Amino acid sequence: MSDEKFRLHPISAIINCVKGLKDLLIPFFIIFVGKGFKFNFDPHDEGFFWDSLPILIAGVLLVLNFVSGVVKWRRFVYWFEDDELRIEYGLFVKKKRYIPFERIQSLNYQEGILHRPLQLVKVSVETAASKDKKAEAELTAITRTAADMIELEMKRAKRGKQQVKQGLAQNELLHEIDHDNKSEIDGDSASVSSQQEFRIQEDEIVQREVIHRMSVKDLLILATTSGGVGVVFSGLVAIASQFGDIIPYDYLYDEIRVFVKVGVLLVMLAVFLVLFVAWGVSFVLTLFNYYSFIVERENDKLIITRGLLEKRRVTIPLNRIQGIKIVENPLRQMFGYATVTVESAGGSMQNGEKKIILMPLVKKRDAIAALQRLFPEINWLPTLTRSPKRARPSYYKIGLLWILPVTAVVSYLFFPYGLLSLLIIPLLILLGVWQHKTAGYALDGYQLTVVYRTISRTSFFMEKKRLQQMTMRQTYFKKRIGIASLRTTIMSGSMGASATIAHFEKTDIEKLMAWYEPNAKSAYDVEKSISEP
Amino acid sequence: MSAEPKYQISRKGLSVWRVYGSIQTLIILLVAIGAGVLTWLFEWYWWIYIVCAVVPIVFGFLFIYLFPKIRWDHWRYEVREQEIEVQYGLFIVVRTLVPMVRVQHVDTAQGPILKRYGLAEITISTAATTHTIPALIMAEADDLRARISELARVAEDDV
Repeated sequence: MSDEKFRLHPISAIINCVKGLKDLLIPFFIIFVGKGFKFNFDPHDEGFFWDSLPILIAGVLLVLNFVSGVVKWRRFVYWFEDDELRIEYGLFVKKKRYIPFERIQSLNYQEGILHRPLQLVKVSVETAASKDKKAEAELTAITRTAADMIELEMKRAKRGKQQVKQGLAQNELLHEIDHDNKSEIDGDSASVSSQQEFRIQEDEIVQREVIHRMSVKDLLILATTSGGVGVVFSGLVAIASQFGDIIPYDYLYDEIRVFVKVGVLLVMLAVFLVLFVAWGVSFVLTLFNYYSFIVERENDKLIITRGLLEKRRVTIPLNRIQGIKIVENPLRQMFGYATVTVESAGGSMQNGEKKIILMPLVKKRDAIAALQRLFPEINWLPTLTRSPKRARPSYYKIGLLWILPVTAVVSYLFFPYGLLSLLIIPLLILLGVWQHKTAGYALDGYQLTVVYRTISRTSFFMEKKRLQQMTMRQTYFKKRIGIASLRTTIMSGSMGASATIAHFEKTDIEKLMAWYEPNAKSAYDVEKSISEP
Repeated sequence: MSAEPKYQISRKGLSVWRVYGSIQTLIILLVAIGAGVLTWLFEWYWWIYIVCAVVPIVFGFLFIYLFPKIRWDHWRYEVREQEIEVQYGLFIVVRTLVPMVRVQHVDTAQGPILKRYGLAEITISTAATTHTIPALIMAEADDLRARISELARVAEDDV
């Protein structure tokens, strides 16, 4: 193992500076706005000193920022020692961080605009402990070869551990064998170990299989529908502007007539324009973010690469995956499209991203085909148990309870137009009925599937061993009609993710609870053992 | 699914909840008195007096008498070899099952009021959730904590 210490690429100094500048932006803004953008360049003027003070402060801050960026880069070193990735950094306080290779969950790569031309990557090192949304360590910019070297070093360390274990096992074996035929055994063991080496080398040839590649057509559809709300609104405005003629301009005074007409038109145009621009921005952003979205499987890891200007590469070890969600929003559901997301334990999320998107937009049957290849042991099209008909009102009752007083107040306060709020009531009931129709669950061996709808239809696939808890809920009124709900939680990011099976037969829910009991010979197991002798 | 969990929490827990309820009611009462004084000073509507009188009484009845009683009646827990089961709730009765294998750690905690009554609460954490048993006799809580951490260590995954 080399004890050579490595430095980040000098460009990290600039990246540090840019990052620092971002933080300085708001204070700068306050300083300059506070001064009202009054500048005085006459050194003989009395107020010169006070007027130029903010510029002075800003200048000092800028220089400090630059210096700290450079020093941060100078001070940051990493090296490999004792099967650990060791990092030393810090401006005033020297910090050392040693990360054992076997603890490293994944190395995630990210290429920003500054990285691309120089073939550099930003590497985030993630361990199971990196919970508070931050990676364990970040190497701001290193060359691709350096990144590959870390990966290689990591693999070597992990393999070394295995070899040691295997070696120990072998030794034990050797000791058991009679000492008389020692020479023979030595020959044997040599051949065995060479075989092992051969196998290890075979392991090294990683198998990469493309699981999902987003087509250009799908990307365009995703981008077009990404600003969903914006599109709908601008459409509405376009329609509304057609009804402009209905507004009773004739009743208005002639003088303001023209003004109002132009005003209404202007406002509508402005709103339309704003929404259109917002949509355009989200279109472009989505295009950039999800450009060439590829999911690959490498041995027991998933690798997701995406991005046009800023390239990102996220690695998820398969055994960290806790559950999979297929989400179909109503608009996309109509065209058979779905989004697939992964709930993964620990790991830092990219800012604001709550879960990892496995397939941003994909035909549902393609998604299921890909998932089947990835997790063949999971039943992706289970037969669902549905909620009983008498549970249907439960889906909108609570909502009505909240909304009724609100509509009453609104109707009273804004009398004629306030009555329009009553329209919410049938909508709410329809949504409830729809949710009831969608809801379902399925048990397959150790697999639990929950299907529910808030607005989008979500199918949640989980394994029993990943469920952290299971809770049965029953209100007083539900008890009388034999309806109950169930909630279960899996690990996901720093918090959990929950799935709710709302308003089902109490016996069904109890069956689920029994299924969840560890080692319990549950009714379900009994059923299964009868059906499969 | 078997019958509900066996054990109830300590009877003293009910007293503790009554104390909490009394403190809350006291705060409400102070606010109500304040409102009453203001009404008298600025000659607001007369019905404000009635509201100021009724609200603390109703609040007190609910939070000192009724709710603690219902909650205490509903509280059940049981720690078995393979799992922990708790049941509680006011209007919505909730029953939670946590397998021993999923338990990450157990804490006991004791605030000033619990301490006066010789009680402690026990918090069971999994990787994603936490579950609290609110009022146990201190010795019992310590025993339970030791037992759960022991069981959690030996529990084996069945899947």
